[in-house]
Amino acid sequence: MKKWLCIALALVLCVLPLAGCGAQAEKEELIVYTWTGYIPDDVIQAFEEETGINVIYNSFETNEEMLAKLENTNGGEYDLVLASDYIIKLAGDKGLIGELDKEQIPNLKNIDPLYQGFFYDPENKLTVPYAPGIPLIVYDPSRVSCEITGYSSLWDPSLKDSIAVMDSTRVINGFALKTLGESFNTEDLDKIRQAGDKLLTLAPNIRLLSVDQTHEYLLNEEVSVALLFTSQVALALQGNPNLKVVYPTEGLGFGVDAMFVPSQAPNADNAYAFLNYILDGKVGAHISEQILYLCPNQAAYEFLPEAFADSLKITGSDIPNGEFIMDVSADAAELHNQIYTAFKAACGQ
Amino acid sequence: MKKKASVFPKIYLGVILALTYVPIIIVIIYSFNASKSATAWGGWSLDWYAKLFRNADLFDALKNSVVLALMSSLAAGVIGTAGAVGMARCKSRLAGAVEYVSTLPIMIPEIILGMVFMAFFTLLGLKFGMLTLFLGHTSFCIPYVYMIVKARLVGLDKSLPEAARDLGASGFRAFWDVTLPLIMPGILSGMLLAFAMSLDDVVISIFVTGARTVTLPVKIYTQIKTGITPEINALCTLMLLATFVLVTLSGILGKKRNS
Amino acid sequence: MKKRFLKKPGAGIAAVPLWMFTLVFVAGPMVYMLILSFLTRDPSWGVVNEFTLDNYAKILNPVYAGTYLSSLKLALSTTAITLVIGYPFGYFMARLSEKWKKRLMMLVVVPFWTNALVRMYGWIIIFRSNGLLDKLLMGLGVTDAPLRLLYTYPAVLVGMVYALLPFMILSVYSSVEKMDWSLVEAARDLGASKARAFWTVTAKLTLPGVLSGVILTFIPSMGLFFIADVLGGGKFMLVGNLIRDQLFSARDWPFAAALAVILTLLTTLFLWLYRKITHVRDLEGIL
Repeated sequence: MKKWLCIALALVLCVLPLAGCGAQAEKEELIVYTWTGYIPDDVIQAFEEETGINVIYNSFETNEEMLAKLENTNGGEYDLVLASDYIIKLAGDKGLIGELDKEQIPNLKNIDPLYQGFFYDPENKLTVPYAPGIPLIVYDPSRVSCEITGYSSLWDPSLKDSIAVMDSTRVINGFALKTLGESFNTEDLDKIRQAGDKLLTLAPNIRLLSVDQTHEYLLNEEVSVALLFTSQVALALQGNPNLKVVYPTEGLGFGVDAMFVPSQAPNADNAYAFLNYILDGKVGAHISEQILYLCPNQAAYEFLPEAFADSLKITGSDIPNGEFIMDVSADAAELHNQIYTAFKAACGQ
Repeated sequence: MKKKASVFPKIYLGVILALTYVPIIIVIIYSFNASKSATAWGGWSLDWYAKLFRNADLFDALKNSVVLALMSSLAAGVIGTAGAVGMARCKSRLAGAVEYVSTLPIMIPEIILGMVFMAFFTLLGLKFGMLTLFLGHTSFCIPYVYMIVKARLVGLDKSLPEAARDLGASGFRAFWDVTLPLIMPGILSGMLLAFAMSLDDVVISIFVTGARTVTLPVKIYTQIKTGITPEINALCTLMLLATFVLVTLSGILGKKRNS
Repeated sequence: MKKRFLKKPGAGIAAVPLWMFTLVFVAGPMVYMLILSFLTRDPSWGVVNEFTLDNYAKILNPVYAGTYLSSLKLALSTTAITLVIGYPFGYFMARLSEKWKKRLMMLVVVPFWTNALVRMYGWIIIFRSNGLLDKLLMGLGVTDAPLRLLYTYPAVLVGMVYALLPFMILSVYSSVEKMDWSLVEAARDLGASKARAFWTVTAKLTLPGVLSGVILTFIPSMGLFFIADVLGGGKFMLVGNLIRDQLFSARDWPFAAALAVILTLLTTLFLWLYRKITHVRDLEGIL
């Protein structure tokens, strides 16, 4: 008897939280899943006012976290995901992405073809490009005594403890590979190992590794050189116009963050409505102006202010030179992992 | 000589306490920062408090956190107390093993727990949401209640419940009327600690949170990654204020009851 | 039936919910982690059900084994500093009047209620280049250039000690509180100096509190990783960071599981040693 009482009690306690979830409003919803602050608040508000759809903004910290969650829900729960190219490829391969209903997104025609047909979506059936970008080196000439022309310049001894780089295995290993004249995606284990050895000698120059807000460290003089994503380049220049931007001579990287609708999205129609909304020329220009990535919306070009082009200083013409970072074989991936761990540990020494 | 010895401890306590409060005071001051940056000063302003009260997402997250902390500390209170009472009677090797495993959640680093929950719930086909959060939080709340209640039981005067039995009370009544009131302070302080831990947990929550159930610490954590705004400082200031008010109130009430 | 309740086997039934919860939601996931650590990763994503010992072999690689060492080093230094600061605090606190004890207890516990991450931001504001500390020191003429304290090992140490100090204080406090002072007096009466009485009596009697404080600071500091990230600029590779990287960037779940299994074993070993040395089964002072 008592035993059953206890079990029943335990069960009640376990079911209790479910009750809270049962009562949900019948209001139209759109659950967006991306990094914090990546879609401007005012754009979401304007969309909510125009359509009456309530947008729930969910954030993840890394692409991998997103995919793990999406896998747990079998491509359900979330309506619209904004993530990076390589993870979209994986999600697509696992069948977690639903094909876009193009009829519901007439504004798809506004996408600049320059930003379409990439490896993660060769037939343009699954994704809408949102934020394409090229990582660049930015430095403060008043606090740097050597000349910086590319990745190799970062090894200069005068830059001791003064560089900020992004905390990303493949980007960092990638630029070391570029200094050896290799591709980001090389499968040659010896070359990757060489790049790893070379990175170890860079460690004394690294002041910090960070994912976000790296430009802030440049602006508040915590570092004098930084490897930045496109939006950070623009923000850094806005904060201090005297900063210098370097297009590394060894070769450029390139990446696209794009939106997709998961295969079991509960409110896919609302996701299409949102996609169509942001692909509008004016809205698109407004977004690009705020997130400061390249603008993939050709209808938006006429609405972009002069200052935008100025601060960004990157044009579509650089894109053919940029190289994507793509998945490599298990052995190469393991080696990347290993040399990057060694590099980070060396930075802390 | 004697005077000197009595002054030093007070200075020491004062200095260390002051040091622990420096970052908190800075957090509070920066909640009145006019600048958008959480680290650079731009003059005084109340804008962030105004903005905070308009931020429905943040309040939703706060509500989720409080509901979650209440439920998991309550569940831990029941399971942990019953467990401690029951286990006090078991002295077998197996019981020792169960005790070890049940206290593991606070003995191993949080990231491990988060990771195993994420993998395990996916394996079970449990979708992330309030339920997974509740299970995860309950698992690390139980040990706090369990250990504190057990410590109380060990120090308990066993003759009291026995006296009740001798006077004809049933076992359950003896427990309910005699033992339970005696261990109540332990249960409450265990639950309070569990509540605080649940309310502040980031690591485990990040792994098992779902689309509709973001908790406040998770929200703060993801926001920090894109630079926290003084809005978060404002929220923490309010929470701190609420804590002080609650603790002071309970102190006053406690005094009244005593006198 | 009611009468049987408090008889030895009967009352044990109260523990059934605990046993069941532990079995399903603690032991279950742990066993799954153990299994996972012997499986093979899928080259792109996920896990292949193929037995392997590679994940454990990989840990022996100096690059990965080194993270255990640096975690150990950081955890030991954190614990040592916390003990040095926290012991006198807990000791002095226990000797205050009841009224002040309560007040101080509240002041020690309240910071728990401010989000730990936000408190770390307080330290960033203090430590950063041209931040509050730099301004203060340069204003006083102690230094003439920014100290560049942020993103250094000492900054990480400060953050760790700061986060874990309350555990040590409360542990020491509770054991000093319970102490039988007549023993110290007896030692003094027998002619022991103050220092000698402290070492031979007080230190021994408060040892359980000290040890539980040590455990309560040491174990979390082995796994805390966000402090090293936020105050260390991502440069300090600890096991916690490595596990996180394996999960969320390298996508190597089996390796992460193997790292976690070893870390769990290490933690268990320390707990076992603690119980062996002190013969204390419960951690003191967390109430």
